[in-house]
Amino acid sequence: MMERPADTTGDHASLLAAIARGEREALRRLYAAESRRLYGIALAILRDPAAAADAVQDAFLRIWSRAGTYDATRGEPRTWLAAIARHVALDAARARGRETPTDDPALGDRPVEEDPVSRLDDAADAARLRACLEGLPEKNRRSIVLAFVDGFSHSQVAARLELPVGTVKAWIRRGLASLRECLAS
Amino acid sequence: MSTPLFPPLPDSPEEREALAAEYVLGTLEAREATMVRAAMESDAAFRAVVLMWEARLAPLARAIPEAEPPAGLLARIEARLDDLPAPLPAPRGASLRVWKGWAVASTAIAAGLAAFLILRPAPEPAEPRFVAVLQQDQAAPAWVVEATREGGIMLAGAVNPRPRDEGRVLQLWGLYQGESQPVSLGLVPPDGRLAVDPRVMPPREGMLIEISLEPPGGSPIGRPTGPVLFIGRLERVN
Repeated sequence: MMERPADTTGDHASLLAAIARGEREALRRLYAAESRRLYGIALAILRDPAAAADAVQDAFLRIWSRAGTYDATRGEPRTWLAAIARHVALDAARARGRETPTDDPALGDRPVEEDPVSRLDDAADAARLRACLEGLPEKNRRSIVLAFVDGFSHSQVAARLELPVGTVKAWIRRGLASLRECLAS
Repeated sequence: MSTPLFPPLPDSPEEREALAAEYVLGTLEAREATMVRAAMESDAAFRAVVLMWEARLAPLARAIPEAEPPAGLLARIEARLDDLPAPLPAPRGASLRVWKGWAVASTAIAAGLAAFLILRPAPEPAEPRFVAVLQQDQAAPAWVVEATREGGIMLAGAVNPRPRDEGRVLQLWGLYQGESQPVSLGLVPPDGRLAVDPRVMPPREGMLIEISLEPPGGSPIGRPTGPVLFIGRLERVN
């Protein structure tokens, strides 16, 4: 087992190893540790408690099935878990038909969180990301946050920011490229 | 916007980087996201690019407020574990897990059908058997493929068929890992079942099986011209 400095990494990696062996108690412990966080992620994207619960259920079934494919060299366990929940929720949002640009209640009954950037934690990677996001033009940053946190499609971001879809696509693309450069420096 | 789906990844490193970033950001449409996932399975360098982006943006995921899931959700999840196909006594755990990943991601009906295929007595105990569940996303109907070396690749039908576009046909393709040229396995007949002569393309573990939408008579150029509607990976199950 690799030695890692992060607090819960070792615990999570060993829970995943136990889940891969089919140990349900390990899944229960992972659920106790992670379900609030993963549900928060799904709820931000789907803005509908029932749909978010379905997404978390699918995410845990996928974690159960795929725990054996988790590989510490592929990243931190918590990043891996969050990515599974995000992509399950994004798939559900796609299936619901999010390519329709709309800013009406069909988006869900919960307000879109405006600035999660201010809530980034104090870990080194978060501090770097905050500095780089804050260096982006306002609308590039908002587009990226609306897409990542709220699961908005290009058309939905465009409707929210009252911009043409093509402009939003170009800004997101340019914003991501700047972000990569900034994080590498 | 029409997206070039074959070859699944753009050639230029900048385009690949942008595709990986937008996959992680979540702005890709369902079809593009499916292709990125397929490419991640077969292309380790591209997978690393995607995982770098997951790591870059991970702090933002940590900044999303937690919320209390409904009571009883864990019980629901545990009840669903009981519905998953029972683990097979066969020792090939790794590939079975991958298959279960596909099955879980597909509809419960698909999982049931695939389980039926797997639990059905094999014609010859020693012969390797393979299964793929082809899907686009969780909402789309899934197709099931089974294969043996003797019998070849067989499309066993759609779980939840939907009306076809008039004037378009579905074409089945196979692509070995590490190769870029898919092989046509034939046009999918109306009943959704198609047996492919093993001499056309012997099944191989890990190969991709795809269904694309094509003009009448099939693709005129020997590779998919229309969108890849369904895709899955052939996994060994015994």
